[in-house]
Amino acid sequence: MMEVEEGNFDEAYDVYACMQCGKCTGSCAVSLRSDLNIRELMRIAILNKNEDLEKHEEIWDCTSCGICTVRCPRDLKPAEVIIGMRSSLVEGGTIPVTVRDALESVGTNNNPWGRPKSKRAEWLEDLDVKVKNISEGEEAEYLLYIGCTASYDPRIQSVSRAAINVLTKLGVDFGILGEEEPCCGSEPRMMGETGLFEMLVEDNLTLFDEFGISKIITLSPHAYNTFVNDYPECAKRLKEDDVEIPDIELEVKHYTQFLEELIDDGRLDGEMMNEFSGTVIYHDPCYLGKRNNIFEPPRKILNIIPGARCIEFDRREDRSLCCEGGGGRMWAEGTGTGERNAIIRVNDANQDGANVIAVACPFCLSTLEDAHVTAGYEETMRVMDIFEILDEVLK
Amino acid sequence: MTVYILAEHRRGELMDVTFESISAARRLNDEVVAILLGTDLADHAEKVAKYADKVLVVEDERIENNTEAYTQVIGEIIKKDKPKVFLMGNTSMGMDIAPALAIDLDSPIATDVVGISEEGGRIKVNRSVYNGKVLSDLVLREAETSVIAIRSGEFSAADLEEKNGEITKVDSPLKETIENKKFLEFVEPVAGAVDITQADVLISVGRGIKDKDNLPMAEELADAVGGVVSCSRPVVDYDWLPKDRQVGTSGKTVKPKFYLAFGISGAFQHVAGMKGATMIVAINKDIKAPIFSVAQYGIVDDLLKVMPALTEKIKELKS
Ligand SMILES: Cc1cc2nc3c(=O)[nH]c(=O)nc-3n(C[C@H](O)[C@H](O)[C@H](O)COP(=O)(O)OP(=O)(O)OC[C@H]3O[C@@H](n4cnc5c(N)ncnc54)[C@H](O)[C@@H]3O)c2cc1C
Repeated sequence: MMEVEEGNFDEAYDVYACMQCGKCTGSCAVSLRSDLNIRELMRIAILNKNEDLEKHEEIWDCTSCGICTVRCPRDLKPAEVIIGMRSSLVEGGTIPVTVRDALESVGTNNNPWGRPKSKRAEWLEDLDVKVKNISEGEEAEYLLYIGCTASYDPRIQSVSRAAINVLTKLGVDFGILGEEEPCCGSEPRMMGETGLFEMLVEDNLTLFDEFGISKIITLSPHAYNTFVNDYPECAKRLKEDDVEIPDIELEVKHYTQFLEELIDDGRLDGEMMNEFSGTVIYHDPCYLGKRNNIFEPPRKILNIIPGARCIEFDRREDRSLCCEGGGGRMWAEGTGTGERNAIIRVNDANQDGANVIAVACPFCLSTLEDAHVTAGYEETMRVMDIFEILDEVLK
Repeated sequence: MTVYILAEHRRGELMDVTFESISAARRLNDEVVAILLGTDLADHAEKVAKYADKVLVVEDERIENNTEAYTQVIGEIIKKDKPKVFLMGNTSMGMDIAPALAIDLDSPIATDVVGISEEGGRIKVNRSVYNGKVLSDLVLREAETSVIAIRSGEFSAADLEEKNGEITKVDSPLKETIENKKFLEFVEPVAGAVDITQADVLISVGRGIKDKDNLPMAEELADAVGGVVSCSRPVVDYDWLPKDRQVGTSGKTVKPKFYLAFGISGAFQHVAGMKGATMIVAINKDIKAPIFSVAQYGIVDDLLKVMPALTEKIKELKS
């Protein structure tokens, strides 16, 4: 992550190496339905025409799926350039109101949903099992990092509860942070709030250090990605600026990676499960797939579930169609018109004969859940997180 | 005690808040002097003089639409006449002028005031804080002049006593033309655009409305209660209403006095955009719909039956 001051995109992002081939725009998940044209934004960055940015409302259309960066033949980071552009808009205060409110809420409530910190652990109330709270001094090997959306959105809270049930049944020594759990900062960073992100990195590393946390399992690929990729880089930069940051090594896993290890160790297998009935299609989230090349673990889990007939989307793995849930798009509809990607996705799933779409990301769950109702599949199809499927089948 | 008020006008029209300011000033029981600045003021002066004890008119085109000039000119008049209170609307103009004026005069200031009275020679105001959730009483410190900006619509100008005060022309005390701030143009909101965040009453429709053809029914109810139609995201997705009517985390956050949710299930993203409404009433045929957990009142029934019945009842009550 880089600090961008007005007018120095060229230095910060090496944009002069861009040869304007257009592969970024050609790959872009939203360019078909919005005005977002990354190649054009790259050219603006090269020409240093920052003063024009305010007119480019479509800068907020980017879902930060990262495919432009994956495919850039010059190894540039167009997705980061967009974050840089958002940063200068954030600095200038000319951002969509909903984005402003979400960022402000991270500052005041430690979550972007405008909900009080004191209600962050309310989802626990309907649970039958007791779960350790590391912030209250209980010790556990792993921190299960829930994340903001899975803490507050009633639909996604069900994934948090499923996670607790499943990990408890599997005898994993884990705990949560309850009300003390902070925002990971991934979405603020993607929305260009560089300063806020740095503050969260500093606060969160200090908090993890204080509670002796070194192993983390995340529900969200977004939290996973930021802990693994953004935190070390940001912490290094902060240290160079003489900010005091605890020296801790975090071992972070997305829950599908963690469960894959349990399978490999013989601690999770089909014998432990009841029969599932359904044709399951797995939707790769961008932050696991494209951004981190994690394709196998979720598939491995689904494949051991007895009775689940697993099929694949034509557009899968690093070609998976982004659901448009990331990059701040939870709080910005964008300029796009026409069919949402999520609708295209549920239609594809239906055509392929699936009656369960399996996801491993809270944002994918939000967007696809909404889309499957809008597209009229409420009665014939279910959108489920892998944790929810496991919770349903585990004996 | 003498109270000076600002007569606000824009594009040839006197603003209602002018008379509301006079009404607020009358609660302090004394002489009310109105200040009228700009150009083409003769008509306005007549209208204001009807209810004010005195109108001071400064004709100077350098002042027209320039809040910086307004601030300086009002400042000069106040320094000379030393009224006990200067009062104006907490309008976009008032938000520009009143705080700057208070700084210039080193005066105490109260903005967005909804109640005003005098208590033992001191001025007491009532203003809302915490986004309207708490009302606080404040007593202003002793000062030569206090500045107060009142909320529009709070002080009724219906029963103002006629005064037919005198109109006095005053030479413009503006020393030089304001260069650092210029009025460029008035920008009209796009025709047909409705700002749902400003409405006191929202008739909000969700997927349960079933068909675009049912929307006029919602419009009719909105007209009857003097509200505006808003919606959940699917209604925008189906192209039944424009994007700017969407309530929710990726739409608009609204805080109306009254929010009627018809056929809206109450998804997280929707509720986050409207739970600040003073009163929420939900109409949904599914008794388990989550919207009922944020609503104060609920009707479990078919909205296509409830909506016209409600419209009819309201029309009946009004006639
Ligand atoms: C990234 C993202 C952002 C989002 N942002 C927003 C947002 O800003 N605003 C928003 O609203 N949504 C938003 N959503 C969508 C949200 O998740 C819900 O899908 C949506 O709010 C549901 O709208 P609804 O309540 O109208 O429809 P539904 O959930 O389908 O509910 C329809 C309701 O109507 C009732 N009903 C049906 N027929 C009748 C009848 N005849 N009489 C009475 N009741 C009836 C049903 O019982 C049901 O409760 C967002 C989703 C995502 C993924």
